[in-house]
Amino acid sequence: MLWIAIRMLTGDKQKFYGLLFGIAFSTLLITQQLTIFVNLLERGASGTYNVSSADVWVMDPVSRTTDVAYALPSTALDQVRGVPGVDWAVPHLRANASVRTKDGDLEGVAIIGVDDATLIGLPKGMIEGSTDVLSQPDSVIIDDVGAERMFPGQSPIGERLELNDQRAVVRGIADAIPSFTSTVVLYTKYSQALRYVPGTRNRLSFVLVGAADGIDAKSLSERIEEQTGLKAQTRDEFARDGVDFIIENTGIPLNFGITVLLGFIVGVAIVGLTFSLFIRDNIKQFGALKAIGVTNGKIAQMVAVQAGMVGMIGYGLGVLGTVGFISAFSNDPTFKGFYIPWQIPLISFAAMVLIIVLTGWIALRGVMNTEPAAVFR
Amino acid sequence: MALLPENLSFSRKILPIIAVAGLLLAIVFIWNGLPDRELSEPENEPPRATGELANSARVAGAGLVEPSSEIVDIGTALSGLVSDLRVQPGDYVEKGQVLFTVDDRAVRARISETQAAIGEARAAISEAQSARATAQRQLSLYNQVEDPAAVSRAEVIRAQGDADAANSRLKVARARLSAAQAAAGSARTELGRLTVRAPMAGEILEVNIRPGEFVSTMGGSGLPFIRMGETRPLYIRVDIDESEVARMDMGASAIVSPRGAAGEQVEAKFVRAEPLVVPKRSLTNSASERVDVRVLQVLYELPETDGLFRVGQQIDAFIPAKTTNTKKAGQAKPADSEAEAQ
Amino acid sequence: MTETGNQAERQPAIRTRGVTRDFQAGQQTIRVLHGIDLDVCPGELTYLVGESGSGKTTMISIMCGILWPTDGDVEVFGTDIYSLSDTDLVNFRLQNIGFIFQQYNLIPSIDAASNAAVPLIAQGMDRLEARERAVAMLDKLNIADQAGKLPNQLSGGQQQRVAIARALVHEPRLVVCDEPTAALDAKSGRRVMDLLREVGVAEDRSVIIVTHDNRIFDLADRILVLEDGRITHDGTDMPEDH
Repeated sequence: MLWIAIRMLTGDKQKFYGLLFGIAFSTLLITQQLTIFVNLLERGASGTYNVSSADVWVMDPVSRTTDVAYALPSTALDQVRGVPGVDWAVPHLRANASVRTKDGDLEGVAIIGVDDATLIGLPKGMIEGSTDVLSQPDSVIIDDVGAERMFPGQSPIGERLELNDQRAVVRGIADAIPSFTSTVVLYTKYSQALRYVPGTRNRLSFVLVGAADGIDAKSLSERIEEQTGLKAQTRDEFARDGVDFIIENTGIPLNFGITVLLGFIVGVAIVGLTFSLFIRDNIKQFGALKAIGVTNGKIAQMVAVQAGMVGMIGYGLGVLGTVGFISAFSNDPTFKGFYIPWQIPLISFAAMVLIIVLTGWIALRGVMNTEPAAVFR
Repeated sequence: MALLPENLSFSRKILPIIAVAGLLLAIVFIWNGLPDRELSEPENEPPRATGELANSARVAGAGLVEPSSEIVDIGTALSGLVSDLRVQPGDYVEKGQVLFTVDDRAVRARISETQAAIGEARAAISEAQSARATAQRQLSLYNQVEDPAAVSRAEVIRAQGDADAANSRLKVARARLSAAQAAAGSARTELGRLTVRAPMAGEILEVNIRPGEFVSTMGGSGLPFIRMGETRPLYIRVDIDESEVARMDMGASAIVSPRGAAGEQVEAKFVRAEPLVVPKRSLTNSASERVDVRVLQVLYELPETDGLFRVGQQIDAFIPAKTTNTKKAGQAKPADSEAEAQ
Repeated sequence: MTETGNQAERQPAIRTRGVTRDFQAGQQTIRVLHGIDLDVCPGELTYLVGESGSGKTTMISIMCGILWPTDGDVEVFGTDIYSLSDTDLVNFRLQNIGFIFQQYNLIPSIDAASNAAVPLIAQGMDRLEARERAVAMLDKLNIADQAGKLPNQLSGGQQQRVAIARALVHEPRLVVCDEPTAALDAKSGRRVMDLLREVGVAEDRSVIIVTHDNRIFDLADRILVLEDGRITHDGTDMPEDH
């Protein structure tokens, strides 16, 4: 009978493809919009995730994100180093500066000063050059998206910039996830960064901490807070802070929420209407089957198989479309580092199941309520 | 399936296959696309407390390596051109060893002059002595004549006067000799001051003068002429945040590593804490640096380490916290000291 | 045609006693059937004839177990079908009753043989085996060559023959037909009825046809006329006034 159900479904090509389109389209809409949404939000955490080796970030109690930070006195580093369970701690400077390019254009950049000796704080990978170039005088490493933005169509290696009346030479390109604002990021040594950023009293933005073996980052951060009076966030907490900051300060969640809701509504509408039309068209056949002697349970199974098949294919195509979209745009700097979190296909799958169950249930009710006697009228 | 009107149905066969393949592809894509957020170990060794300190209460500080004598800036007592330079950076000198000499020709000329004056004074002395002897003999001759009529009274008085004058002349000549000798001594002293000697045993750390350069007692370009210090042993001066001082185990040894070579750790013996808490001197070389942090400087003695530490180098130090504190007390303490700091 | 004594010996295919059926139309209750007592014998082709609204569709629905009577008993081959549970009743229909509908109600997206095989498939038989049996049945109805065609590729008569094959393929003991010739021209209708009579009527099988097509009245073994919910004529021929 299930075979018959599938034949019934695919027999009406128009409605079958209508159903597929509806499901695929709303899957695409929900998955793709959620993906972009999550990735945009995670741009707020890129500053945290770009630093691959720090378990805990220590900052002033009023600091909120990597970009909204109040500087610490320089002895904070030693205070943190004095906390048991801290394997190592290094200074980390983040500040905004204006850079004058060779053409005389002014560009706002983020300066990131990494620990002089260990270079902790640099992104994990380099696209061009090695991290050793920072040992040369006046060296900076630019992030890849920033390089594309600041030096479109040319190699930034060897370019000279002017920062706070100081010379800076780009000697490497780092493979980093851009920030929410896609600001050009220049990485340099901490001591060098102090010269590039106009002076304020305190300069140390963060202390990056590695936890000793066997020490849990969360308990370490609590211990640091207790002992130093500073704010300590684990990497995940701090990434979360960055995301929360964007959620609180932009309309992104609302906009994307609306789009996702629209996707869901469009899905319900298209799929619901088409599916109930399909069922109504076949109601006489279902009535005949019921008269011949097919139980309601079997009929329900048939409808379920039909809904399941449409849902599965439509969902597959929708997810395929999303993957295609993301991979097609993966080379675009705007979408650099975009990925599909594994939860999102599951969410859209759940949404799809909801759509299918909802519409299938409504359609099924029509079939169930059909009197077999109706076939004689 | 030969009984079916078409063997391969697009809707029933190919589409599901596409869908399933698409899902598999998506799974692979999503799996591979997940961002690499693994924590990685730092490539370069960061400074870390090791051994017993790794997981126990401790205080950290940054500091500089310095000679145990602190750095001595050698000056000059007299201005003049450098005529000879006897040392170069890295030399280990004994106390009193000549470092450099300043041009001494003028002083030597003065010495010759004083020598001449001494000779002249000596000649005057002998002339005065002979004159006195002559006068004395004549006087005694007159005094031996008993007949008062034989020698006139005037003659005697004149002889008496001659003898007295000769005596006075001798005294003057002697005084002149002393003066000339004093002048010669002064010139010799000056000659000695033109030779600058090491005030103590130690290592020459920096030499900023060359033969022919002018050295002034007022200081010249601002640079010290020669900097030296006792580098056997080396000391480190560690800045401890004043709020951390209370936690510190004063007197315990510190674990010290140089910047950039955090793997090389040595144990340094406590020497003393400076009595004065000073504003934190930032090691960042920024001119506009202002400070609101005060630090206690604590000195530690570095063991012999064959070139690992050099004077002026930055170091990271870990010092045990007070052992009397239990762990809990150690954690409660900073809150108090924080409050005091504020 | 059949003798009375013979009838008494044999168990009737359908026995109804006092079958009454009411329909609710707004506030009014309309009584469609007024206590029908009826025995249908096996091996006979029985016609149920009547005007629209005479209650013949209601009657046949009740007789084949798809419409509950308001009152009265219905026994099909000795089984009181309305005392069965829902599921048992459905299975009873699946095993014992074949249906032929006026609109054929073939499934448009599966071919003729598969349509004919539906009852077997519903009984749980393997699809290909069911299909073979269906093709054999189509062969009896002389349209085995159309087995692979979709219903909309067939003429009306061919579709009705596929429907007949579907009604007979699982060898039911009762076949119920609703206006089998209504949508067919005279010639096709005649041919369909000939085949139905030839293939469908058997020793232990009873065929009930609801119709008012006077072109085929001559094929009946027994004709029952229903008027206003009551049986007004029971005989081998139509009364003259019809």
